[in-house]
Amino acid sequence: MLKFMSKLAPRSPWIYRINAGSCNGCDVEMATAALIPRYDVERLGCKYCGSPRHADVVLISGPLTMRVRDRVLRVYDEIPHPKVTVGIGVCPVSGGCFRESYSVEADISRYIPLDVIVPGCPPRPQAIIDGIVKAVDVLRNRIEEGVCSRS
Amino acid sequence: MFPFLKIMVRNLIQGPATDPYPFAPAHTPAKFRGCAVHDPEKCILCGICRHVCAPGAIQLRPSEDGSGMQFALWHNSCVFCGMCAHYCPTGALKMSTNWKLAHLGEERFDNAIANFIPFGQCAECGKRIQPRPRAITDRLGADNPDRFLLCPECKRTSVARLATEERRSHTQETV
Repeated sequence: MLKFMSKLAPRSPWIYRINAGSCNGCDVEMATAALIPRYDVERLGCKYCGSPRHADVVLISGPLTMRVRDRVLRVYDEIPHPKVTVGIGVCPVSGGCFRESYSVEADISRYIPLDVIVPGCPPRPQAIIDGIVKAVDVLRNRIEEGVCSRS
Repeated sequence: MFPFLKIMVRNLIQGPATDPYPFAPAHTPAKFRGCAVHDPEKCILCGICRHVCAPGAIQLRPSEDGSGMQFALWHNSCVFCGMCAHYCPTGALKMSTNWKLAHLGEERFDNAIANFIPFGQCAECGKRIQPRPRAITDRLGADNPDRFLLCPECKRTSVARLATEERRSHTQETV
């Protein structure tokens, strides 16, 4: 039964968005990638959810400013394992334009392991869909192996 | 009567409005600014790209043996503003239309351009100078192609030699 469920689970990954101090560019692109019928991420079985407790795939945008750091980590810890983290834009991985700023904690992987990275400022909706497809593959492997993302 | 029939027929003819990506290739506009591409054959190591790069994605590091410079551009820091391509004097840096950059977290540092550019050599004394590829000799060195390939010291000597010769011939003419 569990095997059957774990086979079905990656077919409908639920997506949760975290804005870690982003300039909103990537958030707009994430919203377009999911919500409007033109780029329709729901064809892949994905669904945006409002609660971190329901999520499988986490999309993080923004360079993790010091102001939101603790809140982001608290929300991230609420997401049940196995979870896959997708860094949207260049900010989570390097800081982008805000690199080496005094109030920015990028690289985000010091706090949260990034499994998939979608570079761009902001990335195209198609590139975000690309990243989600990669994240679903990671999620499938993770469910089969039964590993946690932060160990 | 039945106003939806018109819409239904139109939608049947037009087909779905959804972009079929990732099941079919996506349309990319011709002027789309994707990741930068670098041509080491044209690079003259002027460093203007590093100067204008807002997020500091471009680095120029001298190699250990001093025979050239290492050009590095990290796509995970680049914001695709295209300033480097705009200011590049030889067109070595260009923005491509490639946007398929999504990758796994382990490959984050592989998603970069790393090119080694050797220094040029002075045509007379063999000293190391900035590289002199065709892209820059055709433009800046068109007036005096021989002198353009010299190091600053040899250039000064050659200019001085030319001036002396001119002066000598001038005095000989007047005498």
